[in-house]
Amino acid sequence: MWQAGAGFGAVALTSLLQSDGFFSGTAVAADSPLRSPLATKPPHFAPQAKSVIFLFMYGGPSHIDTFDYKPKMIGMEGKTVDVKTFGRGGHRSGGRIVEPRWMFNQHGQCGKWVSTLFPNVAKHVDDIAFIHSLTADSPIHGSAMLMMNSGKILSGSPALGSWLNYGLGSVNENLPGFVVMLDPTGGPISGAKNWSSGYMPATYQGTVFRSEGAPILDLAPPAGLSAGVQRRLIDSIQMMNQEHLATRPGQGDLLSRIASYELAYKMQASAPEAVDLSGEDAATLEMYGVNQPRTRDFGKRCLLARRLVERGVRFVQLYSGGAHNDDNWDAHGDLEKNHNYHAGNTDQPIAALLADLKRTGLLEETLVVWGGEFGRQPTAEYAMGTGRDHNAYGFTMWMAGGGIKGGVSFGTTDELGSAAVEHPIQVKNLHATILELMGLDPNRLAYFHGGLDQKLVGVEPVEPIRDIIA
Amino acid sequence: MNPTFTSNPIELGSLIKLESDSPAGRWAGFSLSIGKVCRISWVLLVTWSGLSGSLGLAAELAEQETVDFSRQIQPLLARRCFACHGPDHAEAGLRFTDREAALAAAESGQVAILPGSSVASTLIDRLVSQDEGERMPPEGERLTDSEVEMFRRWIDQGAEWSKHWAFEPLSQPTPPTADNPLWNESPVDSFIYQSLAAAGLKPNPEADRRTLIRRAYYDLIGLPPSAEQVAAFLADEDPQAYEKLIDTLLESPHYGERWARHWLDLVRFAETNSFERDGAKPNAWKYRDYVIRSFNEDKPYPQFVREQLAGDELDLVTPDSRTATGFYRLGIWDDEPADPLQARYDELDDIVTTVGQAFLGLTIDCARCHDHKIDPIPQKDYYSLLAFLGDVTPYGTRGNQTANNQIDVSPEELRQRYADNEARRQSIGSQLHEIEQSGIAKMSAPDQRATEGNPRDREKVLREKLQQHLDPERWQAYTELQDRAAAIKGEFESLPPREVVLGLAVTDPTPDPTFILFRGNPHSPTDQVSPAFPTLFGEPGPVLTPRGPDSQSSGRRRVFADWVVSPDNRLSWRVIANRVWQFHFGRGLVRSPNNFGQLGTPPTHPELLDHLAHLLISFDGRLKPLHRLIMTSQTYRMASDSREDAIKIDAGNDRFWRFDPRRLSAEEVRDSVLASSGALDLRLFGPSVYPKLSREVLAGQSQPGSGWGNSSLEDQSRRSIYIHVKRSLLVPMLSAFDLPEPDRTCEARFMTLQPGQALALLNGEFIHEQARRLAERIGGPEQDDETLVRGAVRTVLAREPTDLEIGQARELLTALQLAHGLSRADAVDLFCLTVFNWNEFIFLD
Repeated sequence: MWQAGAGFGAVALTSLLQSDGFFSGTAVAADSPLRSPLATKPPHFAPQAKSVIFLFMYGGPSHIDTFDYKPKMIGMEGKTVDVKTFGRGGHRSGGRIVEPRWMFNQHGQCGKWVSTLFPNVAKHVDDIAFIHSLTADSPIHGSAMLMMNSGKILSGSPALGSWLNYGLGSVNENLPGFVVMLDPTGGPISGAKNWSSGYMPATYQGTVFRSEGAPILDLAPPAGLSAGVQRRLIDSIQMMNQEHLATRPGQGDLLSRIASYELAYKMQASAPEAVDLSGEDAATLEMYGVNQPRTRDFGKRCLLARRLVERGVRFVQLYSGGAHNDDNWDAHGDLEKNHNYHAGNTDQPIAALLADLKRTGLLEETLVVWGGEFGRQPTAEYAMGTGRDHNAYGFTMWMAGGGIKGGVSFGTTDELGSAAVEHPIQVKNLHATILELMGLDPNRLAYFHGGLDQKLVGVEPVEPIRDIIA
Repeated sequence: MNPTFTSNPIELGSLIKLESDSPAGRWAGFSLSIGKVCRISWVLLVTWSGLSGSLGLAAELAEQETVDFSRQIQPLLARRCFACHGPDHAEAGLRFTDREAALAAAESGQVAILPGSSVASTLIDRLVSQDEGERMPPEGERLTDSEVEMFRRWIDQGAEWSKHWAFEPLSQPTPPTADNPLWNESPVDSFIYQSLAAAGLKPNPEADRRTLIRRAYYDLIGLPPSAEQVAAFLADEDPQAYEKLIDTLLESPHYGERWARHWLDLVRFAETNSFERDGAKPNAWKYRDYVIRSFNEDKPYPQFVREQLAGDELDLVTPDSRTATGFYRLGIWDDEPADPLQARYDELDDIVTTVGQAFLGLTIDCARCHDHKIDPIPQKDYYSLLAFLGDVTPYGTRGNQTANNQIDVSPEELRQRYADNEARRQSIGSQLHEIEQSGIAKMSAPDQRATEGNPRDREKVLREKLQQHLDPERWQAYTELQDRAAAIKGEFESLPPREVVLGLAVTDPTPDPTFILFRGNPHSPTDQVSPAFPTLFGEPGPVLTPRGPDSQSSGRRRVFADWVVSPDNRLSWRVIANRVWQFHFGRGLVRSPNNFGQLGTPPTHPELLDHLAHLLISFDGRLKPLHRLIMTSQTYRMASDSREDAIKIDAGNDRFWRFDPRRLSAEEVRDSVLASSGALDLRLFGPSVYPKLSREVLAGQSQPGSGWGNSSLEDQSRRSIYIHVKRSLLVPMLSAFDLPEPDRTCEARFMTLQPGQALALLNGEFIHEQARRLAERIGGPEQDDETLVRGAVRTVLAREPTDLEIGQARELLTALQLAHGLSRADAVDLFCLTVFNWNEFIFLD
């Protein structure tokens, strides 16, 4: 077939595989090396969502300045109060109140109070479930990031995106099933640890997608080499590999490696197509803020997220903020400047993403998650200024779309937002909710490692947050 | 006899049909062979025989063969029943931990297992019940028909019980006699042959010499043989040529580099701490070099273990043995923990986990919060083992990240000179300070303030104003002291460098008592425990002798280490013998090398395993004689060809009817590319090197480039074992080829075949650079096509190309130049690149 000069494409490959005498007609057992580990797997029960877009507000946005309305704090500016806090600066038992710096208004049918930091997201509150009572095990970025991403404060465990791909497989093998898109200022603290597959094979690890240039590492041939050259090289390699295979019938790994080159080739076409926005109309680009300098980057990434889930990518994570200090939501110094900046960069794109998903019907099967690794304290970090330290005792995240009950708020923090009081829940409950909506039983999804059935949510049974599930 | 199992192949066939309907795309995509979780059971054997449309030999044999409790029943009990009816729980009054308990009546009065009668055993009814409320196990998938059938036959055959094989002392198996003389010379072969014969299998013939030399090179040194080395071996007419080859490779200094890498996976070797800053562990590379040296010296395993666990407590403490204690310092470490006590116990847990799994093949760590659910390891055992480690100090503190882990192992005389220098520096320093403060006291308030802040400001004030606030005599004394301080500093700078290693620099000779922690919570201590060996060994407790007043440590680790490597230890020897087998054959006789407990995979050849363990003990724990024994066996020398007749009986090669082909490891791929291009720098040892990482890779860091150095081109061409292991920044090409995350002990690497690997070898900067070098090495574009192809294939694969290959390559070179307009030089580079992508290069037969 290749001697006739035809491309050694996917069709040819399939027929090659099927015509191979040894494998034809034999079953592919569930644990056979020939079965793709990313092949679609049945969920435990009917899923309500097929994909997740996790908007990670790295650094820790202040819940009391965004979505957790604290009217009793109004007028308390500068007052010294007794309140237990624990952040970067250690344990404290009191401090100077920094009043929420933005006005809150009620929105939507549900009348949700939202600050003026998110005027556009506020228009979607009826589609959103707010969780105000989250707690994390650590108020330190590195470990809290790992907790939000992998359920553990210690590194070495697979990320949420890895678990979903392990549990469900991928419906589009030409694209990675777990995509991470970073802020232009840099990666988060601990870098690749945040999208590692830990003790699972690298097949399940997150792939960093860039919104400029070749989206995936080593995807594009070096400058000056055309796609035609690449195809010619692969054809040549496959011919030699076919020769090699001919004398080694029945060796599945050889066949799989041949197939992996075809997949790589298909990925070379699929990934650039997925990030090519030229097919989007002007109104869409406008809606996401792609033409505005402030919203250009996050807008573009939100739009890419929609395009990726459209194409079957299981888990997409976008970082708002990168690197250190005020390059992300970590407002230790000037709270107003920091949050005005980061909310201003993301509000319109996030609202556009929700609107766009809704418009296309994708919202029904796409779960959107918003939040950071923790929240921020009600009191000032320093003698002067508005900076707030980290707060893992109580903070807010929200979810919308696939299987989420809109217009509800779950749990509360105290009057200062210093700690969760009603329905305090842990990151593992959030993870359990996400798994549940994706059709996976959080207490059943297990990976055997180190003598134990490891689970994202840990060994003790964990309940999803049923109150926010539609 | 059960109809679904033996007499109804049609039903089996239809079951299989469902799977074969799956589209080709489902299985053509990726491949994942996982040595450690691959369990090809009887179920699959039957499946395969069913495929052929006949009943097959395996099924007939299965019918006659007695069910092996330890291999076939116990793992199912452990996996599927113990969570509720095991050592930790006995729901309904029923537990399956031993025969007596399992045969006893449950609270309901019913009998789960009645030996000899599966019909009267309620266990079977419950397993097959269609009633969801009745069915066992209540959660997860139900048992397969053949698993149920296995239970039936086991009960009908008398429900014989045996204790878990690994918790029994080593047996003394006698190698059987094979009826094939060729397979009777080595005990390895006679055990393997017997197991093959029992299944009606024949072993593959011996592989050809070209295959053997390549296999042996990669296995022992992780590098390909050159064309000259292959030619010499092929031409060697000495009947002992192969044995000579093995001996030569065992003496190669690169043997240590290859086998150290296996060990580094087990001890979670990395050179940074992970967490927010992922700070460097100074001198971690010296531990890596220690491991390489130890393998090269063929250090007895007991000594190797003792040095790592108690290198500071040996009769003869050496710089080497202290370097070995770096073992304790390799784990992740949080310099800014939210809960310091929790972090401390997490750090210790990492050590207990690694010690338990790497040295003992036991998941003792599962008993941190409660009694082990499956194995007889009560929670007390975890903390009793932890008590042996009571004197291990934390890796560091935020304020001082080196004192606990950096050991000065310089000669005594040099250390004394440094100590003298330091003492004098401090003495002069305090005299200077006193004079300075007396002058500062007379200065203006702003100046005084300035001296309390930034040292630079202080220096400026002192330089400009100190003299005017001192009387001349004091000033005179001050300047003299300054001169002396400068001289001491000069002396310091001229001292020879100190030798500092990573390890247990500080230990606590009188450790605090150890307590059992309620549910593993360090804030809830309960009963106090003393150091004790796990109870499942059923051995007397340790004899701890009080240490002298000068002792720096508690002496407990030495006692523990001695116990681990005692010839009577029933696990350690099996565990290391299994690992040696694993690294030769791609999988252990026990496929779960870090878990010999009841959730592990039982050995395919238990007698062979025990025999190898005995042999290793008789070799004083030296690995090289064992390598020699294994590699000169017929079993090792078999061809890797797949055979349909054998596949039908043993698709998973459980019985070793062939040598399993394998993909090269991440390091082997990179090192082989470098070796082929001629760039490989074979220098041994030394500080780690930093291959160039692209800008987009570094962009994933919060501070791009942070903690990643620049190495010279030569250094970047060194073997992969010398690459700096930064936990948050693993080299992507190595990760793509399954370099493990180094945060936890890794018992066996994954062997994936995924598109990321193809992309790295098609488009990566590294591969293009090496392809250019290879093109240069073989003469460059001036050569004619055939010369180039001959050169490339000879250099990379150590053989002559076939005519077909020459024809194809010529076609490629022509097409690249004519159809795609590339220069001849570029075309040649790309042709070289394709050779690095051939399966023949990436796979070993």
